Amino acid sequence: MKPLTITICTGTTCYVMGSGYLLSLQEQIESACSRPVEIVGSSCLGLCKDGQYGRAPFVQIGSTVIAEATAEKIIETLKQQTARKPMEQI
Amino acid sequence: MNNRFFIEVDCARQNKHGQGAPGDVFLSQRDPDEGRIVCVLADGLGSGIKANVLATLTATMALKYVRSDMDICKAAGVIMSTLPVCSERKIGYSTFTIADIHPDGRIRMMEYDNPPAVLLEGPTVLPLEKKPMEIETAHLGRRPLFYSAFQARREMRLVLFSDGLSQAGMGRPRTPLGWTAEKAVLFLREQIRRLPNISARQLCRAAVTEALRQDQFQAQDDISCAVIYFRRPRKLLVVTGPPIDRKKDAQLAARVAEFDGRKVICGGTTANLIARELGRTVRVDLSFLDPEIPPVSTLEGVDLVTEGTLTMSRTAQLLEQNQEPDTSRPNAAVRLMNILLESDQIEFVVGTKINEAHQDPNLPVELDIRRNLIRRIVSLLNEKYMKQASIEFI
Ligand code: FES
Repeated sequence: MKPLTITICTGTTCYVMGSGYLLSLQEQIESACSRPVEIVGSSCLGLCKDGQYGRAPFVQIGSTVIAEATAEKIIETLKQQTARKPMEQI
Repeated sequence: MNNRFFIEVDCARQNKHGQGAPGDVFLSQRDPDEGRIVCVLADGLGSGIKANVLATLTATMALKYVRSDMDICKAAGVIMSTLPVCSERKIGYSTFTIADIHPDGRIRMMEYDNPPAVLLEGPTVLPLEKKPMEIETAHLGRRPLFYSAFQARREMRLVLFSDGLSQAGMGRPRTPLGWTAEKAVLFLREQIRRLPNISARQLCRAAVTEALRQDQFQAQDDISCAVIYFRRPRKLLVVTGPPIDRKKDAQLAARVAEFDGRKVICGGTTANLIARELGRTVRVDLSFLDPEIPPVSTLEGVDLVTEGTLTMSRTAQLLEQNQEPDTSRPNAAVRLMNILLESDQIEFVVGTKINEAHQDPNLPVELDIRRNLIRRIVSLLNEKYMKQASIEFI
């Protein structure tokens, strides 16, 4: 199965708000969702500049933006996506 | 700015085992206008805090007198007659070596009781004509000093060390007399033969580490080694912040691409714009994670790409505290510090664009923080680490 890309912002604001911790969660997420994921870092995603997207830290999975991201929220989002679509399309 | 060579000065030190305060003190200062450098290595009697006070006093006085253009011989005399007296041994005593270095390489040196300073050209030792002199001291009568004046050229190194280095390992069966100055010099020559461009920073550290090894990793005395290297300048370009005018993006990118030296970009947005202009890609490198400092990125043709504010403020802190970078934790700030210290002429190019369309009232403050941070780093590099660092705002 192709790993699903999880983009974690490592820009200044997100890092201050704890995104560094999220970078190390690959195994935890994989075992919770029982599918391979690939965590990639990104410089400022531009989501922190105004309030529109909520608050840092930001994580992006496909077109979904997770604000104030935590391990639980990431796992939650992945599970919802998996439930909505057949695996192959994700 | 002297283009013939850059004078790199560095000193490595190891306190005597179990002592919190160093009994050896090395001070050096570069006059920002003239480029003249004065260095002093002083070794206070004994070890610990008393020795530290003696050595600090000696070094500080020497630096001040010589910089204020007092004759180097007279300065030595004044120091020796004013040192405070140790209550136990009834003498006030600190050895010292003072080197007064003109930016064109002319050196005047005064040596008192330290192991003899060594001048090397590549791996070859050059003879130094040292004129013996006598100076009246307050408590020890007349004492011999050695004065020398000579001209350094590119690829020469002047090495000063304390007796803690030359006597390391003393009393051990294999080295009853210690490592000895002769063997220490052989070691230095060997290092230079192997790595002809070895920096002052690396060479003095290598020598102190070897001395410590001779002491079986428990220094019997304070160990110091200072290296003054007349080298071809190592250039570094540090780019941070997008230019105020978008039309300058391409210029900035071209400057990075064409710079003849090492290159660093601090700031994700800046890295992205340079990558865009050069048609390259920035990739965040997650192979080392640090809880406080964002990870580095890679960009073809650039030596180091880091996040901006957090990284630079940590680097400023490390430079301020004069901390040996923790190699076991090679985060972006430590790597930035290393690359700065391994360079001689450093150009900071600071973009002053505030921010795209967003009207965030906090952002001008952020720009101010960045500007001040860089000013702080530049003045630390110039004053404390004797680099030639400059800032340009674009
Ligand atoms: S720092 Fe993460 S979106 Fe800006």
